[in-house]
Amino acid sequence: MGLSGGAFAEGDLERGEKLYGLCSQCHGVEGEGVPLSLAPSIAGLPAWYVESQLKKFYGGIRGRHPDDIGGMRMRPMTLYFNRPDTRDADFAAVSAYVASLEPKYPEPLLSGGDPEKGQASYSLCIACHGADGLGNEALQAPPIVQISDWYALTQLKNYKNGIRGRDPRDSAGATMWPMAMTLEDEQAMKDVIAYIETLRGSN
Amino acid sequence: MIEQYVPQLSTYAGDIDFVFDLIFYITTGWFILTQGVFFWLMWRFRRQEGVKALYLTGEEKFPKNIVSNAHHAVLVFDVAILVFAVMTWHNVKITLPPAEQTIRVVAQQWAWTFIHPGPDGEIDTADDIAMNDELHVLVDTMYHFKLESRDVLHNFSVPVFRLKQDVIPGRVITGWFKATGTGEHDIQCAEICGIGHGLMPARIFIETHAEHMAWMNRHLPSGVAANDASSTVLAQE
Repeated sequence: MGLSGGAFAEGDLERGEKLYGLCSQCHGVEGEGVPLSLAPSIAGLPAWYVESQLKKFYGGIRGRHPDDIGGMRMRPMTLYFNRPDTRDADFAAVSAYVASLEPKYPEPLLSGGDPEKGQASYSLCIACHGADGLGNEALQAPPIVQISDWYALTQLKNYKNGIRGRDPRDSAGATMWPMAMTLEDEQAMKDVIAYIETLRGSN
Repeated sequence: MIEQYVPQLSTYAGDIDFVFDLIFYITTGWFILTQGVFFWLMWRFRRQEGVKALYLTGEEKFPKNIVSNAHHAVLVFDVAILVFAVMTWHNVKITLPPAEQTIRVVAQQWAWTFIHPGPDGEIDTADDIAMNDELHVLVDTMYHFKLESRDVLHNFSVPVFRLKQDVIPGRVITGWFKATGTGEHDIQCAEICGIGHGLMPARIFIETHAEHMAWMNRHLPSGVAANDASSTVLAQE
């Protein structure tokens, strides 16, 4: 599947599967995401992206803004990885396992988005996330084609309101902030999310 | 006794430790006494050749009094514990001394958000300073805290204050503390609240006025002039 990226060793996956037991409590056994737990679908996300986010949560770069409700729920989970000698290897292992999961395409939960209007806004996203929404590791842009729509909306709002991506250490997040600023309101965000969902068929 | 391991840094920490100590010494005293009596009886009335076991019916005054007097003494000690416990409880949980500062504490799975008053000394205004997992308070200042939960039951526990208060979703619970010493200490959740319960520790920074001002100036929301911070809070000195 096009979403998964990066090579991983077999041992990593076994370790990763064990570690994923914790993640499955909110993200689901197959990484399908559970909106009630504020946990998005993560199955099949590339290992580099999962790992980078785990490290950001762990380092307090993400998930420490008092208005980032979901992020504040995720950050403590990364604190389970509290052994300095194995932490990096464990982050890599669990990321490899998440990447190895079959990508899920969550049912849309938002309504009222107009994909045709969204297509115009998406022209800006193409530069990094690609016309197919599959992302670009070199630009630190993750695939968004499989993203949970409610999560996408929350994150766009978080970027726009300075809740995510404003930490000086978060250079990739800092790129998203001005991008989110171009979406003037919630409707514009829903439109672009509705357009992203139309890309699923093309992959 | 407890203070040898966890410092007492609130005005009521000593009272609470006193109740703990009282219970500890009374129960330890009774434990040693009763075990001593048991072992002595076992030794004194061990099996001996030619001596038959004696069956006490409890009708004679002397053995009956030994038992009932011990029970009466237990009641006296119970009342003593209750008196000190209720006095302390009343002081900590029932009375509410007037606040010099008020903070809002919001618990969620699995983090704490602390809303501190900005330079105006009031919460719920534009210059509030909200922080995740960091609480900054002034030493020797009467604080009210307003506890809220975003999801499930939590418990706001500050060991150096000997403070524990449930946080109940749907309610705003008010309490108070007055720190008596500075430093950086633990805050923990003391009510099982889900898989991340053990991973929601926060830190409390008890600061002098100068330290608090410096912290406030670093974290003022944009739009609030930095030198405003010295106006109201310092004026309380």
